[in-house]
Amino acid sequence: MLSFIARRVLAAVGTLFLSSILVFLAVQALPGDVATQVLGRDATPDAVAALREKLKLDQPAWERYADWMGGALHGDFGLSLVSGKAVGGEVGLYLGNSALIALVTVLFAVTGSLLLGILAGLYRDRWPDHLISTVSLVGMSVPEFVVATVLVLCFSIALPLFPAVVLYGPEASIGQLLPAVWLPALALAVVMAAYIIRMARTSVIDVMASEYVTTARLKGLSTWRVVTRHALPSALLPTLHVIALNVAWLAGGIAVVENVFNYPGIGKLMLSSVQNRDLPVIQAIALISAVVYVACNLAADLGAMALNPKLRTRGRTR
Amino acid sequence: MTATAAAIVSVDSLSVAYRSGGRDVPVVHDVSFDLRPGRTLALVGESGSGKSTVAATLLGHLRHGSRLTGGTVRVDGADVFALPARELRRLRGGTVALVGQNAGQALTPSMRIGRQIAEAGGDVPVVDLLAQVRLPRPAELARRYPHELSGGQQQRVALAMAIAARPKVLVLDEPTTGLDVVTQRGVLDLVGALRDELGLAAVLVSHDLGVVAHMADEVTVLRAGRIVEAAPTGRLFAASQDPYTKRLLASVPRLDDAGLAIVGEDGEREVRPRAVVAGDAPVAVSARDVTVDYGASRAVDGVSFEVRRGEVLALVGESGSGKSTLAWTLAGLRAPSGGTMTSESGDLARPARERPVSLRRRVQLVFQNADTSLNPRRSVGDAVRRPLRFFGTAGSRAEAAVRARKLMSDVRLDPALVSRLPAQLSGGQRQRIGIARALAGEPDVLIADEITTALDVSVQAEVLRLLDDLRRERRLACLFISHDLAVVRGIADRVVVLRHGVVVEEGPTEAVFASPGHPYTRLLMAAALEPEPASAPAPDAEPLVEEVPEWTDAAEPDDLWTDHGHGHRVRRWRPAAREGAS
Amino acid sequence: MSTLETPAPPPPSATPLAPPSATARAWRTLRSSRTATVGLVFVAVHVLIALLAPALISYDPLANNADQALLGPSGEHLAGTDQYGRDVLARVLYGGQYALGVSVAATLLTVALGTVAGCAVALRGGWFDDVLGRVLDAVLSVPSVLALLVIVTALGTGPWVIVLAIAVVSVPQVVRVVRGAALAVVPADYVTAARARGEGTWSILRREVLPNIIDVVCVEFAMRASWVVLLISSLSFLGFGADPPTPDWGLMVAENRTAITVVPMASLAPIIALATLVIGLNLAADGLSKAWGVDRIKEGA
Repeated sequence: MLSFIARRVLAAVGTLFLSSILVFLAVQALPGDVATQVLGRDATPDAVAALREKLKLDQPAWERYADWMGGALHGDFGLSLVSGKAVGGEVGLYLGNSALIALVTVLFAVTGSLLLGILAGLYRDRWPDHLISTVSLVGMSVPEFVVATVLVLCFSIALPLFPAVVLYGPEASIGQLLPAVWLPALALAVVMAAYIIRMARTSVIDVMASEYVTTARLKGLSTWRVVTRHALPSALLPTLHVIALNVAWLAGGIAVVENVFNYPGIGKLMLSSVQNRDLPVIQAIALISAVVYVACNLAADLGAMALNPKLRTRGRTR
Repeated sequence: MTATAAAIVSVDSLSVAYRSGGRDVPVVHDVSFDLRPGRTLALVGESGSGKSTVAATLLGHLRHGSRLTGGTVRVDGADVFALPARELRRLRGGTVALVGQNAGQALTPSMRIGRQIAEAGGDVPVVDLLAQVRLPRPAELARRYPHELSGGQQQRVALAMAIAARPKVLVLDEPTTGLDVVTQRGVLDLVGALRDELGLAAVLVSHDLGVVAHMADEVTVLRAGRIVEAAPTGRLFAASQDPYTKRLLASVPRLDDAGLAIVGEDGEREVRPRAVVAGDAPVAVSARDVTVDYGASRAVDGVSFEVRRGEVLALVGESGSGKSTLAWTLAGLRAPSGGTMTSESGDLARPARERPVSLRRRVQLVFQNADTSLNPRRSVGDAVRRPLRFFGTAGSRAEAAVRARKLMSDVRLDPALVSRLPAQLSGGQRQRIGIARALAGEPDVLIADEITTALDVSVQAEVLRLLDDLRRERRLACLFISHDLAVVRGIADRVVVLRHGVVVEEGPTEAVFASPGHPYTRLLMAAALEPEPASAPAPDAEPLVEEVPEWTDAAEPDDLWTDHGHGHRVRRWRPAAREGAS
Repeated sequence: MSTLETPAPPPPSATPLAPPSATARAWRTLRSSRTATVGLVFVAVHVLIALLAPALISYDPLANNADQALLGPSGEHLAGTDQYGRDVLARVLYGGQYALGVSVAATLLTVALGTVAGCAVALRGGWFDDVLGRVLDAVLSVPSVLALLVIVTALGTGPWVIVLAIAVVSVPQVVRVVRGAALAVVPADYVTAARARGEGTWSILRREVLPNIIDVVCVEFAMRASWVVLLISSLSFLGFGADPPTPDWGLMVAENRTAITVVPMASLAPIIALATLVIGLNLAADGLSKAWGVDRIKEGA
């Protein structure tokens, strides 16, 4: 069991290492000279030279990578090209705000969609299933910005319950941001839940058709017991990875939604730093997203281990 | 009506239909039988006979999409399909319990054994139940998960689960299919003992007439959802009335057949004498000290044999004996880690893609499962034409088409089937295509890897006959791999018995069967069940293990064999001191 | 012999004698699956509208007309006009051209690359599989929106840049799905038989593996297309996709969102167009996977 965990953790670290190289290369290998790219075509040679100096572009790429990674491991992502402030602190500030949305989203989307997915699976081909399946099909067919726009129309304009846009900067307190969290979270949850519902439904159907669930039924157990004890642990297994993928997806999906609501989170920072070509910030955000992705997948793997005794007892003799 | 009054199970003109494509397809039609307490009734039939469907109705269970179209099922006085949900639950487990075919899939993978058994209800402690099904160290076992148990152990756990609430009726649906013969015998003996101990009535579903003869008091033969014959076991096996039953019985190979049984339309049985292999027939394949490793474990360990043209050599063993590994190695799908393998046309130690075409086409493999050995998306004609073109045995496309039709008739198939997809053929037809595909390369050597295992018994008889015909007509050297001694008895000229990758005994079929020299061979033969009811009515009176002495290997590197003459030799062994349960 | 055996297969007479051709099979699928039919009809209607847009409406989707700005639906402008006085319906009808063109190109490229790579990985296995798996995972770990934004800012917003960028971020997911499907086929005995014959890798791939995973690839195509349409519209919405005067649904929502209380149709019409296209693609994917028995949602998002 320990060797299994060790292997997964090692693989996660390996992926992260590869991601960091990829992020570094992608950002640094923008076609043309990076400094010119950042400053635009009509920058003075002096300005370009100064920026080259600042970005240490004269050093070989691997040295710059080592510098960057070395700093990143200590939370030092360099200085923003736009604000001149430390990237780590700035990103951290926005990240904290986004975490608020992410937390609410995950909480609602995961619990809600699991319940609905299981319900749809158990009532396969009957009206609850049709209803849930149709709604989730629509949910996954509509982009986040549309859901967000419709939500604004309904709950900010028609029924003015929540603010349509956030008027605070990144330093806003939780109390200031809290009213603005619900609509973005709801928009993200709708899209995210669709996938989880569908996966949960499919795997519940698969497991309910399995021989061991039939056996449990023919043992004379109640439906509740059959579902909770025999079916769910196995049915949740494949769902777990879909949940992980979707939580990781939040990192990207949040960009669109935060821009709709002008919410001062990481997604908004992402967009503005891309617009301003603020390379250190882009790198930092990409790396942090990669960490989130890898961590989610690792969590799913470990969760799978908790649910699947085959993984847990590997190595024990017969 | 007296029988009905005493019956604990009473099925009355039961009909079940399956809804498919908007219409009802009948699965079971007008089936009736009664079962009295303490008796065992067997439902016998080939695949698609509806026997499992009937058995499941005793628990009020129909598979998704099926429905009752007529009749009643009464168990212990209650009409099963009229029971309210709560009482149906009480009936399941409490009055009737089911043991399924594949315990590996019938046990919930995420729950410990002990909890699954405890759940089944009843007052008997789990540990006692596990001890009752003769599982060693029950307290420890209860904490295990299903995947940590062997197939035989899983089946015993399923039995423990079934008897937990002390039911009155036990439904056994192919309880030993898929288990090795020795394990099967152990489980059957246990079932018999429990049945007598607890006074259970049992319904046994099986396709294996040997198992049925061994276990049942009465037999009901089903075919395509209808009863063709029902009789007490003794009478059915001795003097069956229905031609289908007769044919079914006659198709079962026996351990004492001196050759291949040829079964006529009406079920008359004629044993065809074995083909005579010419004394000067050239050796087609010769293997010497072949060793195959899977990582650290050794699947085949120093095996040697020769097969001559026109000869059938059988490799016999249980799962894990290395017999299939050996077949795949010969076919060039796995690299041997030691030893030599040669054929008339070249070196067989090299993997397939390094062998010259002339060699590749001369050694051909037929697979166990014809369902998966044919590409479901390509016509069966295509499957035969491809090797014809690939090996260059047919020069042109047109010639290949002609030759493919010829090959199909050679394997006794209608050439008109050439454009069908595999799914549109029956299992036996598919296996014939598999053989035709192998013949397309005009091989000298045919490796048949458990080719009849997945087939119904009557189809198996036909395929065996085809194989026997082909080796006579084409002077094929045939390596016949099987776990079934009775099948081997009919078709093989010589037998090699494998255990854990090691040859324990080899020799001419007659000699090995007449006087098996190795205890393992004897164990296999003792465990095999013949389709003849025991003359004494208590089959559990002869516990299997006593017949065979405990033994240990006594082979020395320079003194491996005890020679019994005429090529019959036995690996050295000596009786072992008994050391408790192992 | 299964525990609860399936009823006997329908008698051979019920099945056609000749193996059905691909088109016949597709036709049968359509007839048997209403979901797939509905989905494909949705998509077909969208394709037709995009192609025939100039014939369907006489307004120029790019023509500004300050006098006609922000009109509600009327006989003249069925869906009203936007803030520049452009006819909303014309823009919606023409909008499909960009969305469909870029999506189809990007999806074709993605699925083709992913299928080849997925099959190759499944057949080769071993370290090749491990290494590629890690690399693909690393690509997946960067949010696709961010990756797209970076590529587009660096290389411009030309349609071909977007097609390539989308291929880069979505190939890994197709590889995963195809690899999974191919891995189920590779150990099959008919592949082993081909190996024993000594057939080459390419021939095994083409003759034995591909015909058996083409279902999965088709379903993946439909599903991937829906995902790509959404991604492209998000990109346009953020201002990194289609360049402003281009009629594009995502862009239209972004442009007209602020005026949603004044002319709701200017936002709703592109939303409806977008949603029906994606729903159509999803229905097609669902229906086909159900009809062909493909486990569709293996990968989720």
